[in-house]
Amino acid sequence: MNKLLISLSFLAVFHSSVGQSRLTDDMKATEAQLSASNKQINQFFRRFNGEEDGKGKRLFPGDKKYQDISLRKKYIPNLFDQKTNSFSSDEIKKFLKKVLDKERPSLLDFHNDDWFAEVNADFLLNGKKTSGLLYLKLQKQGLGYEWIIEDVAFDVFQNQFDKDTSESKRFMHPMSHELGFMTLKKALQDEDHTEQFTARNYQPDFLTLFLYELNQGNLTFQAVKNVKFHFFSVDGWYFSIANFNRPGYNSGWLISNLVAIPSETMEKQLKDYIYNRN
Amino acid sequence: MKKTTVIAFLILLGWSSSLHAQTNFDPGRKQAIVSLALEKVKDLSKYISIIGNKDTQFSEAQRVMDRAEELFAADSEMGVSSLSSEEVTYYKVREYFERLMALNYDRVEIKWYDIHYVSDLEQQPDGTYVGVITIYQRFEGTSKDGMSYRDTTKKDITIYVKKKETQIAGRIIEFWDVLLGDIRVTETSA
Repeated sequence: MNKLLISLSFLAVFHSSVGQSRLTDDMKATEAQLSASNKQINQFFRRFNGEEDGKGKRLFPGDKKYQDISLRKKYIPNLFDQKTNSFSSDEIKKFLKKVLDKERPSLLDFHNDDWFAEVNADFLLNGKKTSGLLYLKLQKQGLGYEWIIEDVAFDVFQNQFDKDTSESKRFMHPMSHELGFMTLKKALQDEDHTEQFTARNYQPDFLTLFLYELNQGNLTFQAVKNVKFHFFSVDGWYFSIANFNRPGYNSGWLISNLVAIPSETMEKQLKDYIYNRN
Repeated sequence: MKKTTVIAFLILLGWSSSLHAQTNFDPGRKQAIVSLALEKVKDLSKYISIIGNKDTQFSEAQRVMDRAEELFAADSEMGVSSLSSEEVTYYKVREYFERLMALNYDRVEIKWYDIHYVSDLEQQPDGTYVGVITIYQRFEGTSKDGMSYRDTTKKDITIYVKKKETQIAGRIIEFWDVLLGDIRVTETSA
């Protein structure tokens, strides 16, 4: 009980104890907006799951309103970007029906869900500015968790692997083995697209290439430009969240995209699209 | 006695008997840690206000910067972005404070919104707990000719919660200590 009192008193004195004068009226108005904003991904999770009440108070297992369906019904529509994206109200209704199902409600699980981050970042490749996408996932490691780089997408890499799949593509003839593969010289010298001498199902591994270039010192990290998150956590649905830095009561981390995915094939297609694997 | 010390001591007393080999804690204990973390964030806010204040003497600012640096884990950085450029610029903590002190305004006023958000504490691979506290700062700088610049920045502050040991009356006691880490500073359009 003592600890609780201490912590509550800290919450109350945080503002005044910094030793500042009173907030101006416009700051008070802004404060209400900042309070409404989804300030962290963590808060998006709590609000989606009904683990924070209408006044921003954290709810814990055992609290009456913890993960309460009616609380979530009120909160979740406000987790959508209502200004720049036009979601179909029918689509949102279907999504809410699925997420708020009384028998099997859908909750977001930080550790176990199928969700990942897409980070747009700047690099220097051999001294030249280039940008690329990094896909990061949570992984259990040691006593806790870590974010790991699962994949990357760089135009500058992908352009290097423009495989000619036509019938007129170059090849090493089928009797090359009898010549000690001296045809390799013609295939690999002065050729920009050696990938045409690989198997039909060859897929370049851009993550390995990315790591190789970094480790060789050819590629150097500069800065993160943008971050968004993709969720395949709700059965039959995909949604992404992005940060909307703007005034008003609909800001911070919000759902920026919602797509029904009725089949596993469509889910795979969507993931391939997100990962730039097309 | 400093408030931080009092809290650390209370947490230490409350947990000393039950912390052995413990890898997780209940909401009540987490809340006590959050209080300690908020206390450090509050200290940082106060230091930033002093460093930014044009009435603060150079030697005093240097002393406060030293104190502020003590709040942070080694190699902590500030990642700063503005509304005009989404690209993040990274500064060492000391460098950030020095830039704040050197801002070319005759009057600087730094205020803090009474809003903060504390994330869950997650365990990283080495067992240290990590969380993020978000606070908002209003900055207003005015130059001699009356020109003023005003911004609101969101500060997402990493907190590390680590188990440490101390010896009291010959007995080894474990306690949780809080250090600040990297801070992401984003200019908001609020």
